[in-house]
Amino acid sequence: MITTDELQINIGPQHPSTHGVFRMLITVDGETVVNLEPVFGYLHRNHEQLAEVNTYLQNMPYTDRLDYFNSMANNHAYALAVEKLAGIEVPERAEYIRVMMVELTRILNHAGAVGFMINDMGAWQTPLAFGIREREKILDLFEMVSGARMMCNYFRFGGVVRDIPDEFIPRLKKLLIAMPAYVDELERLLRENEILLARSEGIGILPREVAVSYGVTGPVLRGSGIAYDIRKAEPYSIYDRFDFDVPVGSVGDVYDRFLVRIEEMRQSRRILEQIIEQLPDASGGHINPKARQNVRPPVGDAYARVESPKGELGFYLVSDGGPKPYRYKVRAPSFINLTPLGDMCRGYKVADIVVILGSIDIVMGEVDR
Amino acid sequence: MSNDTLTHSITFTETPATLTVVVDPTPQITRGRAVVVERRRPKAAGWSLLQGLGVVVDHWRKSFRKLEDPTQIAGTFTTEYPEERLPLPEAYRNMPILLFDDATGHELCTSCFQCQRICPPQVIHMTQAKDPETGKPVPAVSEFIIEYDACMSCGFCAEVCPFDAIKMDHNYELSTADHSSLTVHKAGLLRPVSYYQSIAPTFWAEAEASAYKKLEANKKRRPASIGIAPQMIEQVKAAHKLGDGQPEAASPPAPVATAPAPDAGSAATPASNAALATSEGDLPTDKAARLAAIRARNEAKKAAEQSASPAASAAPTASDGDLPTDKAARLAAIRARNEAKKAAAQAATDPAQPAAEGAATALATPDAPLTDAPPAPATPDAPLDEKAARLAAIRARNAAKKAAQAEEE
Repeated sequence: MITTDELQINIGPQHPSTHGVFRMLITVDGETVVNLEPVFGYLHRNHEQLAEVNTYLQNMPYTDRLDYFNSMANNHAYALAVEKLAGIEVPERAEYIRVMMVELTRILNHAGAVGFMINDMGAWQTPLAFGIREREKILDLFEMVSGARMMCNYFRFGGVVRDIPDEFIPRLKKLLIAMPAYVDELERLLRENEILLARSEGIGILPREVAVSYGVTGPVLRGSGIAYDIRKAEPYSIYDRFDFDVPVGSVGDVYDRFLVRIEEMRQSRRILEQIIEQLPDASGGHINPKARQNVRPPVGDAYARVESPKGELGFYLVSDGGPKPYRYKVRAPSFINLTPLGDMCRGYKVADIVVILGSIDIVMGEVDR
Repeated sequence: MSNDTLTHSITFTETPATLTVVVDPTPQITRGRAVVVERRRPKAAGWSLLQGLGVVVDHWRKSFRKLEDPTQIAGTFTTEYPEERLPLPEAYRNMPILLFDDATGHELCTSCFQCQRICPPQVIHMTQAKDPETGKPVPAVSEFIIEYDACMSCGFCAEVCPFDAIKMDHNYELSTADHSSLTVHKAGLLRPVSYYQSIAPTFWAEAEASAYKKLEANKKRRPASIGIAPQMIEQVKAAHKLGDGQPEAASPPAPVATAPAPDAGSAATPASNAALATSEGDLPTDKAARLAAIRARNEAKKAAEQSASPAASAAPTASDGDLPTDKAARLAAIRARNEAKKAAAQAATDPAQPAAEGAATALATPDAPLTDAPPAPATPDAPLDEKAARLAAIRARNAAKKAAQAEEE
């Protein structure tokens, strides 16, 4: 009988599978993970303190850079927080445009997340290319409305920068017609794939009790079997007008998270179809509130949250009546979802860590802020 | 696991008994429902791999189809980049540029500082142009710097600009080996309106009317060649010479701009004042009077601030003698300035009530010659300028009064 010693090793901070600069301090016994400690902070950019020296509007482009995959969702959460704080009304059409952008963001995030997760499994680039193909089309749409593909900076307090151009809706329709075939194809390629099943089934199980106690949200929580979606739990914006399902997993492993994301893409498409049906015409009001450059909310605080593609994204703002937030706090879903990584990885093999990390779908820009 | 088990509450068993938390985060789902995703197993060993391979082969087959535009889904779409480029949407934003009018060369920017204020990374820096003769700010920009290397392309500057002078460029090929060249000065930022019109026709069509209306109003307030794009100056000058023969339109600034400003607090005051007096002699009457009045007011303010310094009392009155007598208005204004200085000095040495009152009465006197001063002979708009001079003198007096009051406290 050979006696084995525990060994402490680092994965990261510079490692291609860590989705940024992120260090995992792991204790291994042979190939088995005994303990894992996530170490964050390598990408700290002083986001929250910076926001306290900027005016409310000046913070909008900085929120793009939190979760740079989903700049529209970040914009939405921040705009909602300031609107709540200052009591600003949003015109009907602007609400629809906002939800349209956020749901497109969800599709592109999940397409990318699935692709990158499988990339982490070792299926180098091919599934990722399938994943980001439709993302590219959505980014073209974002560029058309906002002027930028990723750093959209499209939302304003009380509306959006500008109305969508005339050619937007036809192109979106074209995309939505192709969507089901695209998702089906992704499923055909991956869903029953034996390698994927072998690497993801029963791996990285996050029991629902643990998930809730850590405050995990988003597809990770839903993968663990809890149908918690802020769009349903606390319908913000106009989400109460749309009919869509909340996909949940039954085991809480990597495979469930993968399936939940694929299903959410379908649900987002459903929402988009309803938006196109209900979208009011441009006569509904001025959707670019140019006058609200210098918003000075009354003294008080507000917390607004949205179901970002990664989970609950919340902004907590305290106003002292001035043009700048007195306190600005981001509740970043990636950060909270990353904390139970140790529990998810304990007992699995070193090679599984990378897959589990990929299944959480983190963006370090949001984790470290 | 079926649907109904999802709504069961969760009890934490591992937490201490005193802190048993019961959480049920599952919301009541009204429209739509919670669906448990189906975990499929492959039908037979190897079946799924064949299925996946089928997708790949399908794509390989489709890749022979050439697409006409990038919005189509299946097939190959290739853009041979350096030779051909995809059209950019109008809203595309990369780096900010400044616009100038093609016809007159006038820049649309009036240096209102809106973009400098809103810029989140604070990379916009500008200096407002000043009238070389009066020293007054004019609605034009003398220097405009944008640090392209730190610009985050958020587009706020273009969004807030009330004159549509700053817009976002579509040029994305900005890479350079010379870092310092990314601090772009005004000449490098300026583009003709026709360029912007070519990249964003509908956006410009919306802004055009108001932009030109505002530009016309601002042009009137821009003296000489101020506010004309550097690359257009030669052209504009040539056009003027050719057209209505007004070479003065773009004449160099008057020498007064280089004359040292009088400083009440410094011992060199007499010298600088003398220089001022001589250089003012070259100026047209009306302008000089106005200038003197403005200076008087400023001096009064300054004197009040620096009244503790004894040098202020050294302000000369002798230089007045050099001035021509017909320029009564100017003289009056200069006197007002000197009186103010004196009063302030008095207030400093003897901070009693009479001193302040003395200043007030001393300042009241210049009004008399001013009111019945003869209109300047040469200029047609003399009455207006005379009025302005008087106004300035009154303002100077008020400032002196205020200063005296402040001194009293």
